[in-house]
Amino acid sequence: MAGSSFLHVARPLPGVGPQPTTAPLNVSIQPQALFSVIDHSLRRDQETKRVIGTLLGTRSEDGSDVDIRAAYAVPHTETDEQVEVDMDYQKQMLALHLKANPREVLVGWYATSAELNTFSALIQNFYAGQPEGTWPYPAVHLTVDTTPAAGIAMQTYIGVPIGVTEERSQDSCSFIPVPHQVKYTDADRSGLELISSAKDSDTRAALVGTDLDALEGAIEKVLDMLDRVSNYVSNVLDEEAEPSTALGQYLMNTLSLAPKVDPANIERDFNNHIQDVLVVSYLANTIRTQIDLSNRLATAALTIGGGEVTGENQGGERQGGDNRRGGKGGRGGRGGQNRQQQREPREPTES
Amino acid sequence: MADGGIHKVQVEALVVMKIVKHSSQSFPTVATGSIVGMEVGGTLEITNCFPFPTVDVPPEAATSSHAAESAAQLAAAAPRAKANLAYGAEMIKMLREVNVDSQNVGWYTSTNMGNFVNANTIENQYFYQKDLNERTVALVHDVSRSAQGALSLRAFRLSPSFMTAYKEGKFNVESLQKSGLKYQDILVEIPVEVHNSHLLTVLLHQLPTQPPKEELEFPTSLASLTADAIPHPLDPNFDSLDLAIDPYLEKTADLLLESIDNHHTELNNHQYYQRSLAREQAKITAWQTKRKAENVTRVAAKQGPLPEDEWQRLFKLPTEPSRLETLLNSRQVEQYSRQVDGFAANITSKMFVVKSNLLPGEN
Repeated sequence: MAGSSFLHVARPLPGVGPQPTTAPLNVSIQPQALFSVIDHSLRRDQETKRVIGTLLGTRSEDGSDVDIRAAYAVPHTETDEQVEVDMDYQKQMLALHLKANPREVLVGWYATSAELNTFSALIQNFYAGQPEGTWPYPAVHLTVDTTPAAGIAMQTYIGVPIGVTEERSQDSCSFIPVPHQVKYTDADRSGLELISSAKDSDTRAALVGTDLDALEGAIEKVLDMLDRVSNYVSNVLDEEAEPSTALGQYLMNTLSLAPKVDPANIERDFNNHIQDVLVVSYLANTIRTQIDLSNRLATAALTIGGGEVTGENQGGERQGGDNRRGGKGGRGGRGGQNRQQQREPREPTES
Repeated sequence: MADGGIHKVQVEALVVMKIVKHSSQSFPTVATGSIVGMEVGGTLEITNCFPFPTVDVPPEAATSSHAAESAAQLAAAAPRAKANLAYGAEMIKMLREVNVDSQNVGWYTSTNMGNFVNANTIENQYFYQKDLNERTVALVHDVSRSAQGALSLRAFRLSPSFMTAYKEGKFNVESLQKSGLKYQDILVEIPVEVHNSHLLTVLLHQLPTQPPKEELEFPTSLASLTADAIPHPLDPNFDSLDLAIDPYLEKTADLLLESIDNHHTELNNHQYYQRSLAREQAKITAWQTKRKAENVTRVAAKQGPLPEDEWQRLFKLPTEPSRLETLLNSRQVEQYSRQVDGFAANITSKMFVVKSNLLPGEN
């Protein structure tokens, strides 16, 4: 990933029919595609060494940027001698997927092992070829090494045809590594935050918390970072840590970002905004109470003569009376004395 | 929470990401899809999901506002559309071949500022909870709230008492009194938990994380510091420190106004009903007195009395409007006010932090 560089040399093979372009391209992988691959890898049968699937996404107009957005599994069987990919499944699944995501196209395929072998070449040619493949664009091959106890290594390739004769080039292919990066959008951030908050827990699970929890976490983190920086600065002042002009400059720049404003202005703006917030909050709650009240009145007042007085719940009766008084103030009180009795049968279920 | 036996919903990270992607892509249209998984000892494990196909609107029709409205309606009703059920069944059949859980456990929907409590949501969830099996949930993902920081993903079920009431389809005053159903008991919320697989945990540790704890080489210049910036860790998300207040408040106020309008309409309907009911009843009483007087004269004239219950045929009492809409609206308002409360708590703390930061020595 970072730090690796690639050199592309494209040399068309003469006389092997239509070939995909082998121009260099940038691949970005969105997390949900990666998660799909990992999920599939976990769901494979025990004896299978690797599983494969299709990658979908978008391609820029000139085909030089590929954005992998989704992935789905394709069943295949692989032995030492032969490989079998369920073509029907691939076709049907693609159709189903495109129905729901009309903007995405087939961009390539993935395998859950870092190994590239003859079968990889075969499958690569299938995905890159005509008529169902990515032709005339190259198909992207993503390998995600999911060997237990090792890190997850990802690599992306495109295939270039290779071979002396036309027949040989059908089942061989040279894989050229292309750069890739994992990219997430702004919308993904909040999801990823929650997911990664579970990464250090033993149960590998995290509850979906409230906004306030998230705020607390963020503020604690900021305080922690500020502590770290001020610690460093005071150490430098005490000549205990090595000073660095670059860091100093950077801190100066950052500190100078703090706006210089008149305290009176701040005070005014602050009060205005806080009032806005509180007023809307107050209004919302008032509206809720009003609507609640109106609901209770509506269900109570309309049954004049329909209810029966059982008198078994004194607490309910008292509560009902209270509500009635409030109701009279708010809505002019239709129904009078009857309402108190009507309310009563409902009260026990409320608590 | 003995209801349905589910006390927790455990969502795989994959599902979270897929829902987030689908919802943000189709924003502001409602995105819906199906979720699969299984229930283990009271915990509903949701392991995969897939979106429902988008509804095609003919381009010439899409220009008129009415068509756009009906398209939104269609999108919201997607989970119970026939074509989508077939699609879902087909998809599940395909997923089963690659060892994905093949039990449909509900559906998901995206929402904007929590305005998901409406007839469509209820009808969809009713459809799932009634037909497929008892243990289905609706996952609700709030796109605009998630954009402000913390992810908003909630799971809901319909309460059993509401299910019974909805099955009967009667939401008049009498039935509501009998069942004691209130707007608070329409939806039951179930706590949601995200769960990661081992492999995913490994991957997450490889993605940008906390800055390293050990001593680092000092940068040689300012440029090298900015060029080689440390990537932001995913957790915590500093978006939640954002101080934007006005858009949120504006939107909330708009939505509240809309709810009040709805409530008002419903109230008017009801008042109209009451007036016409009173009018009809007055007519009936008048008719009955007249008939009684007539009968007295007939008896005096030695004629047989006319039947006195003929009014049932002559007069038709107006039907009472359903109170379902009012109930849902009330629930929606409750949802908004809770949301605003949470927002106010959040924003006031941030505001005071900023104030004390900019005006040191004030407190």
